[in-house]
Amino acid sequence: MGTSPRLPSPMPVAPPVLGWATGSGAERSWLSFSMEEDEFFGEKTFQHCCAEFIRHSQQIGDGWEWRTLKDSSEGYMCKTHFQIKSETLMSHSGTSACVQTCLPIEEALELPLDDSEVTETTTGSQVIKYEYHVLYSCSYQVPVLYFRASFLDGRPLALKDIWEGIHECYKTRLLQEPWDAITQQEHPILGQPFFVLHPCKTDEFMTPVLKNSQKINRSVNYITSWLSVVGPVVGLNLPLSYARAASEDE
Amino acid sequence: MHYPIGLLFDLLASSSALPWNITVHFKSFPEKDLLHCPSKDAIEAHFMSCVKEADALKHKSQVINEMQKKDHKQLWMGLQNDRFDQFWAINRKLMEYPAEENGFRYIPFRIYQTTTERPFIQKLFRPVAADGQLHTLGDLLKDVCPSAVAPEDGEKKNQVMIHGIEPMLETPLQWLSEHLSYPDNFLHISIIPQPTD
Repeated sequence: MGTSPRLPSPMPVAPPVLGWATGSGAERSWLSFSMEEDEFFGEKTFQHCCAEFIRHSQQIGDGWEWRTLKDSSEGYMCKTHFQIKSETLMSHSGTSACVQTCLPIEEALELPLDDSEVTETTTGSQVIKYEYHVLYSCSYQVPVLYFRASFLDGRPLALKDIWEGIHECYKTRLLQEPWDAITQQEHPILGQPFFVLHPCKTDEFMTPVLKNSQKINRSVNYITSWLSVVGPVVGLNLPLSYARAASEDE
Repeated sequence: MHYPIGLLFDLLASSSALPWNITVHFKSFPEKDLLHCPSKDAIEAHFMSCVKEADALKHKSQVINEMQKKDHKQLWMGLQNDRFDQFWAINRKLMEYPAEENGFRYIPFRIYQTTTERPFIQKLFRPVAADGQLHTLGDLLKDVCPSAVAPEDGEKKNQVMIHGIEPMLETPLQWLSEHLSYPDNFLHISIIPQPTD
């Protein structure tokens, strides 16, 4: 069949596989979550992992928060951050270079600025608002990353503009099959267009992570591990302290 | 929002006479509210994404993953070119289930109501109960959208519509999923207020 090895289908009885749960005290409640749900990574487990993740986020001021749906136990995690992008055109002795940078020009180029030789025109700085939402997909039984970016006046950024912020090493893969990896979809709770990192491969890459953590008997937060893999692809980075927090919860 | 046209009609205009008159806008695209339709490829990708999600629910993605890329293409081309046999040659495999089961693992459905904040309701729901009984459309509504169904002796407040018709609430959900799904393999169900004529 050519697909990578998968864990056996979700087990009806929660076994020690859930050793990757955070904390031995929490483990018992995790086992009972999954036994109810007959799922490998059910919605309650998702909410539990998010709660732990947000707890650490609050400690380090990383800005993640939980939003619940009115009249429901459903919810999702979200974070907003702002980034300044400035575009500057420089001419230096007849040559010109177009530079996109977030730093003062001098530091970025390590060139002395001599007024007589260089003219610089700032075409404008813009503040971009990035929003990241982590929702649970009951269809795939994994978390899903929704994101969008807009200027302060509300104008949304197109996917190709967001791609400029993505690291080179991810671009090749995404460009080969752009519509498979990132699609624009309706946010299932807000109803607005968001870009989504398709969840159908999540199980494939998370399984080895979880298996390994069982093997070395070390607890892991599914959300932390998953977000540290998918986040950087779309410009969202996780401070290392999240990982330390996850393994310290014992 | 890339919704099937029949669903949009049921949800927004079911009381209108056909043909449905619509107004097409060429300016002021509401970027924050609607998805763009940049190309046919984007529509194909969206369609296939729905089909894959439906199979994740029905078969843990086993059937769709076992198909080759050309089968996926055939499904899309059959739909695009209005070729019933070409489409169903592939789609029938997505409608099968193991002999020992009585139906799919979970039923792919979405329930739409214009009166709610969220765009649709989608939850895990099994077609067969623990005792082997087939769940009905009424069972589904009672479980995931109880406000839509009138109390036993109360007055009927809403219509539950699929493809412009109101199936009986006693209809088994498994049967509806096999026979009344949209091409994307989802049951798109509209809850609309009962017309007052």
